[in-house]
Amino acid sequence: MIPFIQTTLDGLMVGSSYGLLALGFALIFGVMRRLNLSYGPSIMVGAYLGTLLYIQFGAPTYVVAIVAVAGSVMAGVYVERLCFAPLGVGAGVASMVSSFAIWMQLEQASLLMLPRHSYPFPSLTSSELLSLGPLVVRPDYLIMLAAMLAITAALHVLLYRTRFGLGLRAIVENSVAASLSGIDVQSTMLKAFALASAIGGVAGFLVLSANQQVTAMLGMWATLKGLIAMMIGGLGSIPGAIVGGLVLGVIEVHSQTLFGPQVRDLAAYGVLFVLLVLRPGGIFGTTAISESVGHRGGDRWTTT
Amino acid sequence: MEAMLEIAGVVTAYGKIEALKGVSLSANRGRITCLLGPNGAGKTTLMMTTAGVLKPRQGSIKLEGNELVGLSPARIVGNGVALVPENRLVFPQMSVRENLLAGAYQRNDSGEVAADVEQMYARFPRLKERREQLAGTLSGGEQQMLAVARALMSRPRLLLMDEPSLGLAPIVVKEIFGIIAELNREGVTIFLVEQNAHLALQVAHHFYLMEQGRVTFSGNPGELAEDEVIKRAYLGTRRSAG
Amino acid sequence: MDDHLTGILSNIGVISFVALSAYLLLLTGEISFGQQAFFAIGAYTAGIVTAMWQLPFWLGLGAGAAAGGAAALFVGLPTLRLHGLQFAIATLAFAEAVRILFELFRYQVMRDGEPVGPNGIEGFPNIRYIFENDVSATQFMSIIYGLLGATLFGFFLLERSRLGVAFRMIGQDDLLAAAQGVPVFRVKLIAACLAGAIAGLGGGLYAHLTTYVEPAIFDVMLGVHSLAYGLIGGLGTAFGPLLGVAIDIGLLESTRWFAGYRMIVFGGLVAVLLIVRPRGLLDERLVHRIRRIVSRRPPPAPASATILGEESS
Repeated sequence: MIPFIQTTLDGLMVGSSYGLLALGFALIFGVMRRLNLSYGPSIMVGAYLGTLLYIQFGAPTYVVAIVAVAGSVMAGVYVERLCFAPLGVGAGVASMVSSFAIWMQLEQASLLMLPRHSYPFPSLTSSELLSLGPLVVRPDYLIMLAAMLAITAALHVLLYRTRFGLGLRAIVENSVAASLSGIDVQSTMLKAFALASAIGGVAGFLVLSANQQVTAMLGMWATLKGLIAMMIGGLGSIPGAIVGGLVLGVIEVHSQTLFGPQVRDLAAYGVLFVLLVLRPGGIFGTTAISESVGHRGGDRWTTT
Repeated sequence: MEAMLEIAGVVTAYGKIEALKGVSLSANRGRITCLLGPNGAGKTTLMMTTAGVLKPRQGSIKLEGNELVGLSPARIVGNGVALVPENRLVFPQMSVRENLLAGAYQRNDSGEVAADVEQMYARFPRLKERREQLAGTLSGGEQQMLAVARALMSRPRLLLMDEPSLGLAPIVVKEIFGIIAELNREGVTIFLVEQNAHLALQVAHHFYLMEQGRVTFSGNPGELAEDEVIKRAYLGTRRSAG
Repeated sequence: MDDHLTGILSNIGVISFVALSAYLLLLTGEISFGQQAFFAIGAYTAGIVTAMWQLPFWLGLGAGAAAGGAAALFVGLPTLRLHGLQFAIATLAFAEAVRILFELFRYQVMRDGEPVGPNGIEGFPNIRYIFENDVSATQFMSIIYGLLGATLFGFFLLERSRLGVAFRMIGQDDLLAAAQGVPVFRVKLIAACLAGAIAGLGGGLYAHLTTYVEPAIFDVMLGVHSLAYGLIGGLGTAFGPLLGVAIDIGLLESTRWFAGYRMIVFGGLVAVLLIVRPRGLLDERLVHRIRRIVSRRPPPAPASATILGEESS
């Protein structure tokens, strides 16, 4: 019994990082109805900038963290301005492909900065394990879990108790009605993007510091994990993102313990596939946001 | 009596199709101006253009001399123009209260905003009853009132209304028009698109007829026999019988 | 023709198949991130048929195409009722699952004392049918382009057929198409099958061109690239995806100008291109205009006259 709980606990810890990544995706998709394939790469840019400072100048950990998040935000804003803002509501596929093109761009830029496959990354705590009774927990992972909870709570406050959050939710429901109410849709979307990138930057930093290394696969990894977790939890749903991330983490760690690393990934994809076929809305089944990325969007008004 | 809203030579197109082919009209301050016309005439397109959601290819739209064309819809709201759109477009997953607050998005005076919310509840008691209910669960008439109240939350000087009677029961429509008249008595300038010509003519100070993207008639109620107006509003001039 | 150029052209030819595969689905309004799975299935199948079972090349290709089509049918049945992004992610999940399965797949036979066949992560080397049968690089390139030409001819026929019209109708608005009596699900399934077969055919050619395939090749990158080629080259014609492939592989692989900065330049160019032309270079409007010029048909009467009917005057 204890090993099962231990594995589940480990899964929840790993899942918190996935949840944070998914949160960023969900925020962007919820507001813009479009998929940002540059999400992972923007996190990578921030992480690599931080790593550069760490390696070249021995920067302290908190500086690396700040730079990682700030770099993510800058890259995110760049992506928004180039791939999403100029293309109107109808061009869903185009902006997605555009964000893919920038994925390639950001990834290569990062690799030019730091060409080797992996680099050391500062850790937040010592690597001693904490014991909670019969269970063992890594402090870095505990920090990740705590961060996820804190960010989720903060996001909830932002969305439901501030004017900005009200505007954001209004845009999600109907961006034409939102602009008629006086909400500056363009500016709000940009801020949402920046916020999502910041959250991604935090997620990236925490994962890298827990693993104490950063690899060239970071961009792809972050994009895939965030996407899968978001889909499991429910497209564009914020609580879904967290739950999806946790579920993904638990499935992965259990699969790895039982069958090894390859089956771990296979299991994740298998579960995702079955879930999509059986319950396309994800765990939280948000049918309100089940519109396609392409031609038929959620904002319609008829003419007389 | 000066013109508050002046629309001159507006051309709006969807791709190659011109929905507005050069529309000119004006709405006077403190008055109710009404736009009638058959389906497809371009009335909603004109409203959406005025509100900034659509960009015209040509022409100007001036509010008290200030050009609105080229401004974003949010800026136009900031200039004191609010549109109650066709089909209400309430935010279905947000409560009545939150819908109202959305209408006040640009305002920074939170105390006054709260007072205005109470005022809306007083004016629309049914909204008060349902204030924490999700807007998507309201009836058509209640949603219409919510859409009007939301627009009023920005304290507009000019209120645009696109087919407020659409899909509503006659009793509710009478209520809505009563509110329109009341708002006007309080000093709000109203520019109204309506299918229900009969009711519209009872409140309007001035009206226009629009067909196929152009204004075809301008006058006061009484200048043209009501049934002639109704005929033209529903059928258009070219098909009026002999 | 020197070997280097032949190599590049052959590469362009082969990758065009998977680009056309994604394009076909895009016509019906479906975004797929997973066509590389059928490319992989085609490659492995063709390789097994020729290198392991020692059967002729054409049989291998045919088997590859058939396997691709069958797999697409198998996956399409549960997924095609999904819309938009859910479908796209489902195809991604499927393709990655296939890739991992190939990492676990081992099937070897002994030939001349040496094991031949797919060996999990290490891949499937020695698909040497072409070399064992003295087909030159140039000859193989002709085979590739011959088949590509046949496929394009197929697209040409499709555009003019009722099925092709049905594809585009569904792509525009599938509710409307259904209202017009189009059996939407069945048509999408046909499209998926054809797309899978095309990708499978390309995979078979790829396996014999490079003589070696491994699972890592058939990753998400290939899938998203295939989609991107159509968007870049243009969605108005089957030549669009080909143009996209030619631009990426041709311009960039072969020129040494941007070595090291290639993706930075390419990525930026694509993003800018899509701002200006969201449906690609050869988009529907341009193709329509070209067609009209070529057939010298007069332009249609102005819109207002047709929408509102004849005015009596």
